[in-house]
Amino acid sequence: MNSLLSAGLILLLGFVGARLLKLVRLPSVTAFLIVGILIGPQLLNLVTVEIFAASEFFSNLVLGLIAFSLGENFRIDKLRQGMRQVMWISLSAALAAWLLVSTALIVYFISIKMPIYPAIVLGAAASATAPAATVLVIREYRASGILTELLLKVVAIDDAWCLIFAAMAIAVGNAMRADVFQLSIVFAGLGEIFGALVLGGVLGYLSSRLSKYVRTREELLVYTLGLLFLDVGLSIALEVSVLLSAMMMGLVMVNIARENYRFFEVLRSVDTPLYLAFFIMSGAHLDFAILYKMGLAGILYIVFRTIGKVYGAKLGARISNAPKSVEHWLGLSLAPQAGVALGIGLVAKVTFPDFGGYIFTIIAATSVIFELIGPLLTKYSLIKAGEILPSE
Amino acid sequence: MGAKLLRRISFPAVTAYLLVGILIGPRLLNLIPVKIMDASDFVSNFVLGIIAFTLGANFRIEGIRAAGKPVIWISVLEAAFAWILVTLVMIAYHSLNNLPIHPAFVLGAAAAATAPAATVMVIREYRASGPVTEMLLKVVAIDDAWCLIFSALAITTANALRLGVFNSVVLLEAIFEICAALILGAVLGFALNLLSRFIMTVEEVLVIVIGFILLAVGLSMTLRLSPLLTNIAFGLVVANIVRNNELFFEKLRDIDMVFFLGFFVLVGANLEIHLLPKVGIMGVLYIIFRVFGKFIGVRLGSYISKAGENISKYLAWGLVPQAGVALGVALSAKALYPEYGDVIFTTITATTVIYELVGPIFAKYGLKKAGEI
Repeated sequence: MNSLLSAGLILLLGFVGARLLKLVRLPSVTAFLIVGILIGPQLLNLVTVEIFAASEFFSNLVLGLIAFSLGENFRIDKLRQGMRQVMWISLSAALAAWLLVSTALIVYFISIKMPIYPAIVLGAAASATAPAATVLVIREYRASGILTELLLKVVAIDDAWCLIFAAMAIAVGNAMRADVFQLSIVFAGLGEIFGALVLGGVLGYLSSRLSKYVRTREELLVYTLGLLFLDVGLSIALEVSVLLSAMMMGLVMVNIARENYRFFEVLRSVDTPLYLAFFIMSGAHLDFAILYKMGLAGILYIVFRTIGKVYGAKLGARISNAPKSVEHWLGLSLAPQAGVALGIGLVAKVTFPDFGGYIFTIIAATSVIFELIGPLLTKYSLIKAGEILPSE
Repeated sequence: MGAKLLRRISFPAVTAYLLVGILIGPRLLNLIPVKIMDASDFVSNFVLGIIAFTLGANFRIEGIRAAGKPVIWISVLEAAFAWILVTLVMIAYHSLNNLPIHPAFVLGAAAAATAPAATVMVIREYRASGPVTEMLLKVVAIDDAWCLIFSALAITTANALRLGVFNSVVLLEAIFEICAALILGAVLGFALNLLSRFIMTVEEVLVIVIGFILLAVGLSMTLRLSPLLTNIAFGLVVANIVRNNELFFEKLRDIDMVFFLGFFVLVGANLEIHLLPKVGIMGVLYIIFRVFGKFIGVRLGSYISKAGENISKYLAWGLVPQAGVALGVALSAKALYPEYGDVIFTTITATTVIYELVGPIFAKYGLKKAGEI
């Protein structure tokens, strides 16, 4: 088995899988994940080591791509009235998930006489969502409406909240464990956000200026992809958030010149194979053995994260006077959880030698569940809100 | 960026990419991490697959019928003569220097290719039109496909020679390999035809076509068949049986520049610059006899097919440029036998740069002489 063969199989099996599972009305995202699980190392083992080694490179690119295209939704001239709602809903959904999951886990950890700081970190991870899965569900079913528009903005922004929460939680956790509160961790978290915004903004501005040298459509594609690689690569090198810097780059570009819509358009015409491969690789990475290890804590995490998202979004929607469909259904559509939460898990693993591994296991296990079920919930809420046509 | 800059001083794009590759490669700026250099095999095999697949589309049945005899004759003969002449000269050179002769076959086969892009650019820039221009466009479109077929033959022959034995068994094996590659490509074409009925959105076309090209290259490598031939056969079947097959080729064209650019830059980065002096004489011989072969082939082809005096005299000037396909042949030779691969690869890369620089000038000269500019 060579890597080319493996890559070809990934794409074609993904296509076939999505077609087959469409018969039982599963979203493609879920189908890709299932195909990934099938061809992953635990079952058919059709993915070569080289491709596995490249998957980190690849997933960073795809996450950058998703975030960049989310930036397109923030057109200043169209944004005025909606921004208040986006802020309230994203903040309160993220905060509620954090508080509820943390509280539930604190109670549980006290009852089994474990230190409580892992509960705080896990709660922060629960505030994360997964933009990629959400965007793909919306796109596959051609959802449109108020809920869809708000949802696209909320998933773009709440990564920022999640990063802030995670930085605070890790700082607090460190304080409880070692009795020193390192303010620097919080600042590092803020720096990660602001650094990303500055980097994305600068790149967006420069690239928009330089884009006048781009003549043909083919060159545009090369230019845009090159830009994304540059942004993602610099973000990783500078240790700032990939998602936020790519989103900021998209945001700046869409606002700086009207004709910049072509950057987003050219990417849309080619990104399908990338997403497909991305989700299949995510599926191949899913580790089911880990599910046995999550225990009661994992179940609490899942239940209270869902409740937190649903009611947090409801509260935010009510405060900001959002329409009823948003109030009822936005929270549930935020269910997917993936890379961002796992990122926090990885940081925890490095920071806390004693319980970091445990934190990571819980996040990884719940991500397996949320990755598989999340897209279904997103689809369900969009149908309920009447933003997916019945024929789809 | 590099391409833009160099184009300002009117360099052709391929040369610009190669130079950028050399510049950021491990020997100079070293901007490419090992991981990406490791991926160059993957990228170049994939790009070769794309090239061969696209070339297969030239054998659309109605297209061939419409093109008529002169195109076929001229393209086959100019490609074949470049191949044969360069091979003979290289055999002579290698045996004079007491070197093994098998790289000569591959070098010859690479000489058959031309560069449609460069030629088309010249035609467009000077708004050339007339019978020579038209014939030239058809010939450059098709002769790369011949080149790939010749290379498959040449690489098989060279491999057999390298093993030191050349008997009927080896020959049979070679024929078998070629047939197997063609069959594999055809089977994949039919498989794509089946699957294409389930395509619902335009975006999925891209998934399918990339997936199948990867599969074709991957399978042929696993089965030790020629990826080039497999993909030509695959493209040929797709172009002839799949409904709306233009869409597949069109979608591929939308994205292939990204891969080509990556490919050329990586070729540049992989180039062993220190081998350049060593390949000096070989390079010069290659350059001269390739052009020579093209001229003889065009003369003979137009004579046989009665194509007219202007075509016979001036068409060959437009066939001088050389680019991606020749590099591709060199790369697959490099993958097949590492010992001599580097020399072949460096020769072809160096001559490509030279041809790229002078080729457009020749093309323009020929068209002007023919009175079509």
